[in-house]
Amino acid sequence: MGSKRHWRPLLSVMALATGVSLMVAAHGVAANRAAAAPKNPQAFGTLRAVIDTIDYLDPQQAYTGQSWWAMWNVYETLLTYRHVDGPAGYKLVPGLAQSLPTVSRNGKVYKFKLRKGLKYSSGAPVKATDFEWAIKRGFLAQGQGVGFYTDIAGAEAYSKNPTPGGDISGITANNAKRTINIRLDKPRGDFLTILALLFAAPVPANTDPSIQNGSIPGTGPYKFSNYDPNRSFTMVRNPYFKATKYIPKGNPNTVEVALVGDADAATQRVINGQSDYSNAAIPPDRIADAKSKGRLILRKTANTYYFWMNIREAPFNKLKVRQAVNYALDRKALQTLVWGGLGRPTQNVLPPTYPSYRKLNLYPHNLTKAKTLITQAGAKGAKVTVWTRNVSDAVTAAQYYTSLLNQIGLDASLNVLPRATYYTTIGNVNTHAQTGWARWLEDYPHPLDWFDVLLNGNRITDQDNNNFAWYKNKKTDAQIENLKKAPILTPAVNARWAKVEKQIMQRAPWAPWSNRVFPEFFSRNMSCIHIQLLYGIDLARLCKK
Amino acid sequence: MSEPATELTLDTPSLLAREEHEVAIVGRSPWYLAWRRLRRNWVALFSLGLFIVIVLACASAPLYAHHVAHTGPNTVHATDQIRVNGKLRAVIRGGAQYNPATDTFEIKKVDILGPTWWHAHGRFVLGSDNLGRDVAVRLLYGGMNSLKIGIGSAFICTLLAVILALLGGYFGGWGDWFVSRFFDIIWAFPVLLLAIALGTALSVNGFQHFGVRIEPGSLWIPTSVIAFILIPYVGRPIRGQILSLRQKEFIDAAIGQGAGPLRVMFSDLLPNVMSTILVFFTLIIAINILTEAGLSFLGAGVRLPNPSWGNLIASGQDQIQTAPWLALIPGIAIVLTVLSLNIFGDGLRDALDPRSKVRINR
Repeated sequence: MGSKRHWRPLLSVMALATGVSLMVAAHGVAANRAAAAPKNPQAFGTLRAVIDTIDYLDPQQAYTGQSWWAMWNVYETLLTYRHVDGPAGYKLVPGLAQSLPTVSRNGKVYKFKLRKGLKYSSGAPVKATDFEWAIKRGFLAQGQGVGFYTDIAGAEAYSKNPTPGGDISGITANNAKRTINIRLDKPRGDFLTILALLFAAPVPANTDPSIQNGSIPGTGPYKFSNYDPNRSFTMVRNPYFKATKYIPKGNPNTVEVALVGDADAATQRVINGQSDYSNAAIPPDRIADAKSKGRLILRKTANTYYFWMNIREAPFNKLKVRQAVNYALDRKALQTLVWGGLGRPTQNVLPPTYPSYRKLNLYPHNLTKAKTLITQAGAKGAKVTVWTRNVSDAVTAAQYYTSLLNQIGLDASLNVLPRATYYTTIGNVNTHAQTGWARWLEDYPHPLDWFDVLLNGNRITDQDNNNFAWYKNKKTDAQIENLKKAPILTPAVNARWAKVEKQIMQRAPWAPWSNRVFPEFFSRNMSCIHIQLLYGIDLARLCKK
Repeated sequence: MSEPATELTLDTPSLLAREEHEVAIVGRSPWYLAWRRLRRNWVALFSLGLFIVIVLACASAPLYAHHVAHTGPNTVHATDQIRVNGKLRAVIRGGAQYNPATDTFEIKKVDILGPTWWHAHGRFVLGSDNLGRDVAVRLLYGGMNSLKIGIGSAFICTLLAVILALLGGYFGGWGDWFVSRFFDIIWAFPVLLLAIALGTALSVNGFQHFGVRIEPGSLWIPTSVIAFILIPYVGRPIRGQILSLRQKEFIDAAIGQGAGPLRVMFSDLLPNVMSTILVFFTLIIAINILTEAGLSFLGAGVRLPNPSWGNLIASGQDQIQTAPWLALIPGIAIVLTVLSLNIFGDGLRDALDPRSKVRINR
């Protein structure tokens, strides 16, 4: 007994020493394993990009393609899109959510669960309640995207009197369980795509509703390190980001972005070697030259350029006049005149990237027929004001359009408005704008983003109206409302959308003319150039030689 | 044989005239003397000639468009083909070619028709613009618009400035205070910024106040805006001269003889500042043409698609590398017009009052 007692402390010390040794050894092995883990072979130092001016770098405010191009890699949403080329890029995949949500049978309730261990770039944990704060913050700041979320139960009431302490009854979040439940007032077929918009990106609770460019922590692979308004911003790696199956870590360590509004100057920066990439719309006469001095990639994204005709205002209240305009347009010539041929002539509302797209050819170019229709409509000599915004391509297109209207017998003049006030002016009922230039770039890949926003008569408002043609047709409106409920775009649903589109174009409130193709210009040392249909050039996957 | 004069006598005018080769000394009006000085300044006269040629050329724009170019200033010929030296040539050719079968583009340079000079029977003499419009026709119509605005606004501006200067200078006191403060308020704004603000605001809905109605696309908008913003630049120096003249004895004499304010202003004061007004009028036309060009360049002047030299330069700058004539030709037209007016204006000032230091300070 006594000898046993003597050995006991010694054995304890030995056991402790062994344990410590094992722990040190294990740590060493782990450390060695970590050191030996394969690094991203395509990672490189700095990507120097030059892009057109942006509006904001605040997720609840930004609403330009340029801002979203950068912010897609800074702010993650519950659901997101894959970093792949082609139509697969439209597929929704889990972002911050652990998996795709469960949706109730009636299409009104969506249940999400956040991934475990999520952190913002500040190091703070991501909470389920942050999602509700992001939606509330949009309403509090009167953000540009709040209109998308008014179908959430209680959101409409909240929008009338938004307060930081107020509640949107349709959103319930449990931080402990990491669950977010969203209840809608009525089913909405495009709701998942709406949740994937950056407007719904969670931000830390109680982030000030005032506009904060680049200073709000995000959950994506990068974070903004500085922002010099109208000049530049920088993106650096987010140390708390963990790559997932769908969200890569990103190849550039740093992204330095210069904001240059002059496309000529932006293109020249790449040619001079000051930048690696420019997304500026290269002037048509420089495209061929630029191609020989760098890598020119054509990005085909979902967009439609069109001339709208206000069906409430004479002479466009007559179908024959609207048809005449459609017949008169030489869509092929317009592509050359406006952007050096980099566009696809179209007569459709939807762009060809959509599964609902069925090519329409209702109005082949026929100037004689157009003139006859104008005469038949008794609209010869009718005074028309064409509206456009003061941007080079829009002015060129509108000048052509004005000349064309004069050619077919109308008496047209042009009114060019500043870029900033154009849409609000023509979207105001008191302007009585007759016809003009417009374009639509998709917010999210769903036909509702086109037909519901731009051509649903039920959504016409006296101010900030997006339905510039003031198009209202009972049959069409009913079909759009009906199709809103369809949760998935099955081939049958797509066929019904195509039918709606044909119905609309037979009534010709628009004269669509182009699906523009955007030239993206790279220096010769850039490779792995991938195009994500929704967000454009995928900066995360770019490589540098 | 006449006797030599034995006593000192005064020469009569007739005797003096006989000694001066029998030429009688006749009194000359200031206007005649000015003309005599001006006609010796051949540079000023050449400039006047150049300006008249430019005005006549621009005034003939409709004739040129109808009988020579056979097209209007805003007519698009994007898909037309014309004969140059007997060969068919598309006005605009090239550009990226879309292949719907493969959904691909073949990139080609956009080739805009350059100046044909007289090899296309008067069509596209100075080439085409990016929409296939005849540059020569647009240049002449643009010049007509620019000159209309330049001369029209100079006339309105000078007229209003002179009236205000006469009222302020003659009545003095509160009247002069109001006129001076009015000049100060306009003077306080940067000329071009004020013009842009007014031009942009009026271009949307036009002007419909005080019984005056101006349509949004009317040339009266840039004309009125330019005339308004430049009033103090003409009015202030003239007011200064009027104030000085107001203290002279001949004005007191006129008033003493019972002349009323209107008569003193228009019969005694105005003729004495007429030479200054004339010089200002000439110089302000040049300034107004430049201001109009600036406004139209920025989209706040002549409304597209109607041409003016300013908006022709703006449209041409996008093609400056491949079709430099689009911006260069209207630019040269502005330089020649403004230069000719400035040189002539300087010559006129030297002729009317060689000691004058009249300047338009902006």
